[in-house]
Amino acid sequence: MSAAPGPRGADSLLRFADELQRLSVAGEAPAPGPELHLVTFALDKEEFGIPIAQVREVIRVGEITRVPQARQHVRGVTNLRGRILAVVEIRTRMGLSVAELTPSSRVIVVGVHDRTLGILVDGVSQVVKLPAKTVAPAPEEVLSSSVDYITGVARWNSRLIILLDLEKVLLLRD
Amino acid sequence: MAGDDNAFGELIEDYIAECLPLAEQVGDAFVQLERRWREGDGGDDLLAQLKGRLHTVKGNSAMMGLAPMQTVAHALEDLCAVLDAERALGGDEVGSLLVRGSGLLIDLIRTAAKAPKPKPAEQFVKRVRIFLDRTRSKRTTSKRPGLLLERRRSERGTAEPATEAGDSSSSVVRVDFRRLDVMLEVLGESLIEQAAVAEQYRMLVRKLGPTNELVDLDRGLVALQKTMKRLEGILMETRLLPIAGVFGRFPRLVRELAEAKQKQVHVVTTGGEIPLDKAVLDRISEPLVHLLTNAVVHGIESPEERARAGKPAEGTVSLRASSESGRVVLRLSDDGRGLDDSRILAKAESLGLEVQSSDTEQVRSLIFLPGFSTAEQVSSLAGRGLGLDVVANAVHELGGTIAMESRPGQGVTFTLSLPVTLAILRSLIVEVDHERYAVPISHVAATVRTEPDTVHQVNQKGVALWRGNLIHVSDGGALLGTGAAANTSRRFYVVISMGSRTRGILVDRLIGHQDIVVKSLDPAVGRPEVISGTTILGDGRVACILDAGRILDQRMSA
Repeated sequence: MSAAPGPRGADSLLRFADELQRLSVAGEAPAPGPELHLVTFALDKEEFGIPIAQVREVIRVGEITRVPQARQHVRGVTNLRGRILAVVEIRTRMGLSVAELTPSSRVIVVGVHDRTLGILVDGVSQVVKLPAKTVAPAPEEVLSSSVDYITGVARWNSRLIILLDLEKVLLLRD
Repeated sequence: MAGDDNAFGELIEDYIAECLPLAEQVGDAFVQLERRWREGDGGDDLLAQLKGRLHTVKGNSAMMGLAPMQTVAHALEDLCAVLDAERALGGDEVGSLLVRGSGLLIDLIRTAAKAPKPKPAEQFVKRVRIFLDRTRSKRTTSKRPGLLLERRRSERGTAEPATEAGDSSSSVVRVDFRRLDVMLEVLGESLIEQAAVAEQYRMLVRKLGPTNELVDLDRGLVALQKTMKRLEGILMETRLLPIAGVFGRFPRLVRELAEAKQKQVHVVTTGGEIPLDKAVLDRISEPLVHLLTNAVVHGIESPEERARAGKPAEGTVSLRASSESGRVVLRLSDDGRGLDDSRILAKAESLGLEVQSSDTEQVRSLIFLPGFSTAEQVSSLAGRGLGLDVVANAVHELGGTIAMESRPGQGVTFTLSLPVTLAILRSLIVEVDHERYAVPISHVAATVRTEPDTVHQVNQKGVALWRGNLIHVSDGGALLGTGAAANTSRRFYVVISMGSRTRGILVDRLIGHQDIVVKSLDPAVGRPEVISGTTILGDGRVACILDAGRILDQRMSA
């Protein structure tokens, strides 16, 4: 098997880096098992996580142009290096108030099913890797038929990370 | 292995690109031939062209190992050869065989990428054999054409490929259309960058005044703008194809439909030489097929019904293309039964729509509404309305407009006005409540500076006197939902118009004219009615493009 050039090469590099990291920490944390690789971000005081595989990049918030008669929860469109990116107002989607832009606001560019969208968040905390066993289902009382996008809650290093199903939260299944 | 597959895929693409137009020309010519026979003309010139094209298709198919296409082309070639030798055979039976065979050939070639099914080809070849055998007895007695046939074919085998090759001049290069798309994209980016530089220049002038250096810079910018304009023109021209490419398949399509519906329909096309951007051509083909199908199936009456109405038994569907003030106008008419306004009106009332029956234009525009056209009752009652919203949507997405005219008993005419190209749109940039919008110049009739008392309120709607007529002037902020309080003190209004419809839109500022690069709207944003797409302005900001055609069409009130 010869390594294919191009984007696949970058992939295998990443895998190699992951492997190195895993080997180097193996001694101190002997907890292999399945892991979750997440990008976490803040909305109000809570921390949310989405799979890193779905994140293309994180950008500073540029000028967002409102689109008349746009769908609910669409903040507008922005210029991503010459391409038009739709930006979703994830806060209102989750029942919070409309985002106020601050210097820490970011747009996370995500790719779900060949579609690229931006989600506007209050701030991006970091990229984390945590054992899958730290995830528990959210208490039933907090979920409802309209809130079907929470896949679980991770308790990790005294943090609480709410895991989101991007496809559902972005209403891509319609 | 994968490499081989790709190479084969490319070959197949080339094969389709070369053979599909040939097969379509053949199909078209057969329909013409049939017509000429009916008029007592032998159509010799047509037969000669046909044989060359069929021969090329046969040869290419054999090279690709595509047996079904090869045998069908071969059988058609045989039929042509027999006809060439024996003119008297020309008639409805052989005509129907030829048209059916060319249809099959086109379908096979179009789907050549998937392994073609041998069955339909075998069946067709069998029918040709039966026909040839049945007519042979007559022929052998006269001229022994069997032998003649063999000889002719062997002569042609060497002669014709040479003439075909002679057609393709060495100064012509074939380019994958996707490359032209990429070129256009790059040109678009350059245009945006150019606008950005121009904006920087204006800022510098404001700051420093017109220094000598800046005057030089301005000269350079103007020269650059001119060169870019030329480059744009050349690239646009490269993308143009004659509309005949789309028209080509219509005679055959109509013939098949008419046969299925037991009607006699004859197609007339004019203006096939008018050029259109390939991207527009690709997207207008389906809507035209839709309208054509409607015309044959619902518009044209049966021969008996036509006779009773004192019309010729054969109906006519005409498709005329023309260039009108920088746009391409397509008129598709039939001489069928026409639409019944009273029935449309009745249907509208039953749907609870408020319509003024005196406004025929408004009545007609109803048939393009989605809920309306899918209503089964209408299509059976009025015989029309089937999926016209789909057609209208496709036309609007292209930045075009569609209108319908109907005279009961005399037929229907659809008029489509399309931009020659999609990609670059000359626009007026306006500002409403600090938001910028692009209005396609093709729809802008005028811009008017408002004075106190220009715009009056009638029934809470703005009305102004423009060129002697009272027109409705809406507030841009309300129309676009900017969220700002209604504002009647805006400084300008832009008059947009199309056909007889005219409307004003109040805006705060006129920024200027700009060639914008159209970027389609992500469906995730929704389907706004007032916006047709987006573009990136010189300062890097995204602006929405007003869908002037739809704003005028739908009488949106604000």
